[in-house]
Amino acid sequence: MDLVKDLCGKLDQMVNDQFTSVEFTSFLNVPLTLERGRFYVVQNALYTANRRDCWGYVQGSAPLDVKRVIWEHESDELINDPRAGMDHFNLTVKQGEVIGLKREDFENVQVPAMVQACFHAWHHIAMRGHWLTAYAASHMLERRNNGKIVKGGGMSFRVGKKFENELGINLKKMISLDVHVAADMDHSDNISEMFERYVKTEEDCERVLDGARESMAIDRAYRGALGFYMEKIN
Amino acid sequence: MGVGAMSLDAMWNELVEMCNAQFESAQFARMLSTKFSKERAQQYSIQMAYYVQNRRDCWGYVQGSAPLDVKQLIWRHEEDELIGQKAQGKVDHITLAIKEGEVFGLSAAAFAHTPRLEGGEVCFSAWIRLSQRSWLEAIAASAVLEMRNSGELVRGGSLSRRIAEIFQRDLGIPMKQQINNAEHVVMDVEHAQLLMQVARKYAPAESARQAILSGARESLMIDRVYRGHLADMLEALP
Repeated sequence: MDLVKDLCGKLDQMVNDQFTSVEFTSFLNVPLTLERGRFYVVQNALYTANRRDCWGYVQGSAPLDVKRVIWEHESDELINDPRAGMDHFNLTVKQGEVIGLKREDFENVQVPAMVQACFHAWHHIAMRGHWLTAYAASHMLERRNNGKIVKGGGMSFRVGKKFENELGINLKKMISLDVHVAADMDHSDNISEMFERYVKTEEDCERVLDGARESMAIDRAYRGALGFYMEKIN
Repeated sequence: MGVGAMSLDAMWNELVEMCNAQFESAQFARMLSTKFSKERAQQYSIQMAYYVQNRRDCWGYVQGSAPLDVKQLIWRHEEDELIGQKAQGKVDHITLAIKEGEVFGLSAAAFAHTPRLEGGEVCFSAWIRLSQRSWLEAIAASAVLEMRNSGELVRGGSLSRRIAEIFQRDLGIPMKQQINNAEHVVMDVEHAQLLMQVARKYAPAESARQAILSGARESLMIDRVYRGHLADMLEALP
């Protein structure tokens, strides 16, 4: 059996299973209001910032050629995504304008407790795990956003569709969500290639699966937390 | 100039003096007084490639913990190191180190197959631990090593320049053929300013400046230990 093919099959199943989890269904079933939409968009900027932390840590521990792949990956995120003409944080801020958010709303936001706990948990794996575990943990969040893998569309696509269907805001106007629908397909594919190079044994597979499982568990907790907080908003 | 700016200047001056003091330490003096044979130059060159790789580890961790605008500065810093400047025909610094090794008679395989110095491994772990501390300590720990390599800040020349001059003196290899050393002589002058750039925005408070000084101090201590191990290695070689 092809070790990496089998591994990727398991990873694909895991990202699909996320969407049938109680936390994901609960989050995706919270009806959107404008205020809830604003909350989500600001929180998503914090999530993006946490991703930058974690990918930095993974870059620290990974072998040199993987560092280079991550550095290229971070070019879109931190510096300039040619799909959008700006970095992803500014893209999120700009997207916020569509629903009446200002830059200060992003800069002054408090991180809710349950969200903070998830961010710390992701930091922990990224900084303390074996590099393959850390790498898989960060990669899985992009794989879970990859519409070529997730049946019914990745998270950005589904949330974008909620904004479209429930608030009447076209997905194309939600520029950050729209860019991530495409960006995470590319990122997920590029990063996935590294498994071909570095997963050679069952032990390597287990390291990847450990990171994937843990990250998906945190992701479920995170989405559950967002749903919880959104329900408290009118 | 306000009180805050003076204090920042005082911090900077202390950092610069700490970098200069490195060269008066027993470990640096011992390493820099070594007469380099071809074999010594080869081993030094290989171990320095590992040092450069450890820098990439540490800067990655610092990028992870730093605020977003500082992450962007580090990302750009790492472009020279990890990727190179393709438009200017410049390769990344690991490739550069391996290419420079050719003038000492080293192959790429020698870099791949020579193990890390034991003492070096311990120092690399210590630097990684330091890079996982609070982000101001961590960035200072990494940036101060580039300050110590800046000819603008270090009286009598940076470490790369001093080593390059020794290679020229002992082995007759002109500086322009030492492409890695030559690059760092120029590049670290520019990179050395990164810490002050960050401190101007993020170190208005005394506690922040103390964190920077603390990270820098520990890193320079590891640097001295590392150079001591290199000196031991060189002395044990013919």
